[in-house]
Amino acid sequence: MLETNISGLKLKSPIILASGILGVSFSSMMRVIDAGAGAVTTKSIGPKARKGYKNPSIIEVYPGTFMNSVGLGNPGIDEFILEIKKLKEHNIPLIVSVFGDTNEIYLDVATKAENAGADAIEINISCPHAEVSSIGIDKDLTFNIVKFLKEKLTVPLFVKLNPNVTNLKEIALAAEKGGADGVVAINTLAAMKIDVNTRRPILSHGSGGLSGKAIHPIAVKKVYDLFKFLKIPIIGCGGIDSWEDVIEFFLAGASAVQIGTALYKGIEIITEINKDLIRYLKENEYTSIKDIKGLAHQYKTQEVPDFD
Amino acid sequence: MTENIIRTVKIKRIINECDGVKTIIFNKKENSTKKYIHPKPGQFVMVWVPGVDEVPMSISGYSEDGNWSITVKNVGECTNVLHDLRIGDYIGVRGPLGNHFKLPDDLSKQIFLIGGGIGMAALKAFSAELIDRKFKFTVIEGAKIDNDLMYMDEFQVYNKNFSQFHFCTDDGSYGEKGFASVIFENLIKDYSENDISNLIVYACGPEIMLYKLFQICEKHNIEYYASLERIMRCGCGLCGLCAIDPLGLLVCKDGPVFNSETLRKIEDFGKHKRDFSGKKIPV
Repeated sequence: MLETNISGLKLKSPIILASGILGVSFSSMMRVIDAGAGAVTTKSIGPKARKGYKNPSIIEVYPGTFMNSVGLGNPGIDEFILEIKKLKEHNIPLIVSVFGDTNEIYLDVATKAENAGADAIEINISCPHAEVSSIGIDKDLTFNIVKFLKEKLTVPLFVKLNPNVTNLKEIALAAEKGGADGVVAINTLAAMKIDVNTRRPILSHGSGGLSGKAIHPIAVKKVYDLFKFLKIPIIGCGGIDSWEDVIEFFLAGASAVQIGTALYKGIEIITEINKDLIRYLKENEYTSIKDIKGLAHQYKTQEVPDFD
Repeated sequence: MTENIIRTVKIKRIINECDGVKTIIFNKKENSTKKYIHPKPGQFVMVWVPGVDEVPMSISGYSEDGNWSITVKNVGECTNVLHDLRIGDYIGVRGPLGNHFKLPDDLSKQIFLIGGGIGMAALKAFSAELIDRKFKFTVIEGAKIDNDLMYMDEFQVYNKNFSQFHFCTDDGSYGEKGFASVIFENLIKDYSENDISNLIVYACGPEIMLYKLFQICEKHNIEYYASLERIMRCGCGLCGLCAIDPLGLLVCKDGPVFNSETLRKIEDFGKHKRDFSGKKIPV
């Protein structure tokens, strides 16, 4: 019932581990798969080791809502290939998230990941607190990088969208036009937390990206809007911590979802959600989760009324 | 129970423990609108030194009124600034985090607390809990030199009917000369099989010491718990930097305390940790 196919990537569950969560070690990613995830997305990997921002870099701001400014800390692709290979030894469906300074560096990292066995590539052009965000806020840069990578890569290519833009539609369309096999909506929202006692921003970088519970309704709205015009699949991401959150994303038009922040409650949460998704589908007499995709769109919503 | 939300608290008291080591006391309950979560022995906090860094540290003591302490060795930029702070200055605290030392099932167990250097901090909290609950225990505290031994004054006032202490230094400048692991093995040398099977060991300190103790406990089939330390960002199961291979367990959430059954399966134990970039490096 939960089997999902995203542009050729076959998953036993539509729940994918989001990038940036537990995506460093093969062993913790395998635990996520054992808990029932359909695939895992690695931490964003760049050309070389990078420490990222100092701590505090991940804090909880309200129950279930977190803010982070990790700043793309990662061991570098050459080191990370060892983890990719171990994951592939165990046949783990694997999406490698990549970033770079230039299109060529993105390609170099993505090619190494693909050669090591990645089943799909997700490009991070939207980290709201690092320099790569510049691509994700520009439709031409987005089109160029996607087209450039699609010409060379053979595995599916997903584009993670930056919600911190004025016109998400034109960027999503640029990704689609460039040949993307899907978009992931959304990355974290730019945010800040200031301590009232010391009167200073808490994150070492000052600001960071908001994730978790508070951003779920925002992500649902983005997926709902994107579904109206995108032909490629949308992977809903943002604040999932229950089966209802997953169903909402599907009703809005998602073909799969990513879960991340909620894993602070424990990896087993994925097992629970899968079980509850099946129960929901059975109770409502659906045979597959695909059947509910975009169903919220059948209802006409009220137009702006005439105020005179 | 754990708490991830950061809160800045005023330093209430500072104790000079020994050379380059201070205990900092703050109150986690006062002026807080949040639900208070009381720590358990072996749990840790992420300590934010505003403008400098945020690092994991064992909770070295706590009381019902919400006063908690951390014991800090001056080893780098962050702890250096922490040492310069005064009463009334603010630090940020997230916690309690992680799992904890589990008390033995019955009072007849012979308990060893074995600590090396600053690793004594977590065991100090545990020893206070054991005293409260009328457990008998033996502490082996190891340090490089005499000036590195800590909590000696506090241990002095513990009821001698319940607690015994062995101090050792690498250079023999105080107590017995040698590593805590060797002292332990010597102490149990003449134990009967029955005595050995009644032992339970809790340890915290340098991983090489924890690994040696693990080997000794494995050899004699002794129940063993070790508190590990890893680099971490979140402290709550998200960043993955503290993952230990090949089980994928997280030191911040599944640990820091692990039993022998788990330690046996951890290939990284005594060998590897990850640096801030996520790259594997020797412990």
